[in-house]
Amino acid sequence: MTVTTIATIVPEAAQTAQSVNRRIIGAAWRMKSFRIGLFIFIALLLASAIYPELSSMSATKMVVKDKFLPPLLIGDNWSWGHPLGTDQLGRDMLLRCLIGLRYSLMIGIITVVLIFIIGCGLGLFAGFKGKWWDTVIMRITDAQLSVPMIILAITILGVSRPTVETIIIVLALSGWPLYARVARSAAVTERGLEYVRGLRVLGAGDWRILLLFAAPNILPPIAFVAVLDVARMMIFEAILGFLGLGIQPPTPSFGSIIADARKYLINAWWIATSPGVFLAVALTSINLMGAALEKARNRIYGGL
Amino acid sequence: MLILEFLVKRIAQGFLIIGITSFIIFTLLRVVPGDPVRLIVGGMAPPDVVEKVATKMGLRDPIVVQYARYMGGLLRGDLGQSYLRPRSGMIATGGQYIDPTKSDMAPVIDQILERLPFTLQLGGMALLFALLISFPIGIAGGLHQDGWQNQLAFAVQSLFVSLPNFWLAIVLILFLSVKLKLLPALGYQGFSYVLLPALVLSVEIAPFIIRTLTTSFGEVMQTTFIDEARVRGLSRRRIVYAHALRNAAVPLVNLLGIQLSTLIGGVLVIEYIFDYPGLGNLTVVSVVGRDFPVIQGIAITTSAVFVFINIIVDLVAYLIDPRVEL
Repeated sequence: MTVTTIATIVPEAAQTAQSVNRRIIGAAWRMKSFRIGLFIFIALLLASAIYPELSSMSATKMVVKDKFLPPLLIGDNWSWGHPLGTDQLGRDMLLRCLIGLRYSLMIGIITVVLIFIIGCGLGLFAGFKGKWWDTVIMRITDAQLSVPMIILAITILGVSRPTVETIIIVLALSGWPLYARVARSAAVTERGLEYVRGLRVLGAGDWRILLLFAAPNILPPIAFVAVLDVARMMIFEAILGFLGLGIQPPTPSFGSIIADARKYLINAWWIATSPGVFLAVALTSINLMGAALEKARNRIYGGL
Repeated sequence: MLILEFLVKRIAQGFLIIGITSFIIFTLLRVVPGDPVRLIVGGMAPPDVVEKVATKMGLRDPIVVQYARYMGGLLRGDLGQSYLRPRSGMIATGGQYIDPTKSDMAPVIDQILERLPFTLQLGGMALLFALLISFPIGIAGGLHQDGWQNQLAFAVQSLFVSLPNFWLAIVLILFLSVKLKLLPALGYQGFSYVLLPALVLSVEIAPFIIRTLTTSFGEVMQTTFIDEARVRGLSRRRIVYAHALRNAAVPLVNLLGIQLSTLIGGVLVIEYIFDYPGLGNLTVVSVVGRDFPVIQGIAITTSAVFVFINIIVDLVAYLIDPRVEL
């Protein structure tokens, strides 16, 4: 009997959760800012995926005779081949920016997914298990939260070799505590709810309740806000690159391009400006989407 | 009495947190590759010299032993001595060999105490600027939920949160400092050198304050006690500043405690760009030079500052609104 009861509850719980999520996405879609953000984001995504593949130029090979070419329509020796000009070694800026954007987006998204899994996993577990599990995990969270993530990241990357993997791991390691806190407080509330007690009475184990029933209720609201963190992680990646602790040259990344271009700021301002503009536009698009999703979530959950 | 109990409990918790933090940093530094001894003795030194110096400095003992020794010193207020900086203030390089086991290296605690006021000054100014920017925009946005003020608040926060701080710093140095010569930018020779870095930092914090202010003001203005205040015939100014602001302030105070770590992280990068002589600059230099005792000292200091300010934040939130649980 218990088996059939649980089997009938599962699709129901999943269905209601989905419909709430659909309503949130629908509400966000109706906001103009969300659509603008999404449009810009997709455009940037396609550009960074397609242009470097089609282009015959290399983002890392030096072409010294083409150095310091200005962007389109500025100065007198601009060319159609280099729409955003070239840098101090004659490399095409558009290509370098797009490849930088590729790495930036990749690191941002993978890191947030990792943070989400680690943070929410630990938080849910702590909140649901309670007792000393809770105490131990939350004290570690507090400790981790009290060291600013950038200090931790700089410390680890400064003394080990920065590669894409280590950058992702370091950012994820230092970003999880906030998620753990939010997930834990949600799990504590959820634990006291009637349906959880009902499931307990029916003989469901902790893990079953947690993964099949509580998680689908707790996680989506957190996931909507996590979009904003992709932008935050992209900024951190750029900061690390700027400090020389990000992806190592000659592979382009926003931070390292800007750091190198500081020397040519007065005479070749476009080298430092264009990656900055690219990064700012990408971040704005993500933030517009994230803010719209957050607003929609608050409206739907407030109106429930 | 309640407050006293709260303080005792939180301070005890704080020490636990600082203990865990120091252990995490301590272990991480010793687990990741990169031998500080190699840098101290110089690249040309033969391996047996490296081993000898390392053993003498206690760096080949088990991590737990090293940690216990370090914590013993910490309890006496001794954070150890820098591996790289002698007391004279110069940076030791491979060429001029200074024996790091002797006591002529600068104590970490002195270095930190020397830099900390600069960083606090920068952080404080940045917070002040951020509040000055956010209050008018945030409150207007909260009061007129459907008006252009709210749109403005949203636009400002989206823009500010999307500007990478180091890029903004470079652009502002170029325009305000190099082209217009309005503000000095690099180094530190007086109070005016704080303004530009503080401005850049405030742009980083402002969006969070604006967002909290708009939401909490919007919520407070919907409540019945505001309606009732209107019925009582209070002026709009009085309702907003005396009644709504106080209630909307609690989420703001809490936010400041959470955003503190963003602020500290931002300070670090900004200091490095502006060559500002604070803790952040010291951190970057120490990490590059693998100066373990200094890195540990800084991590412990920031974590202590974080814990301390969060206790104050909770206390202030309670004093503003006694309904908040301590």
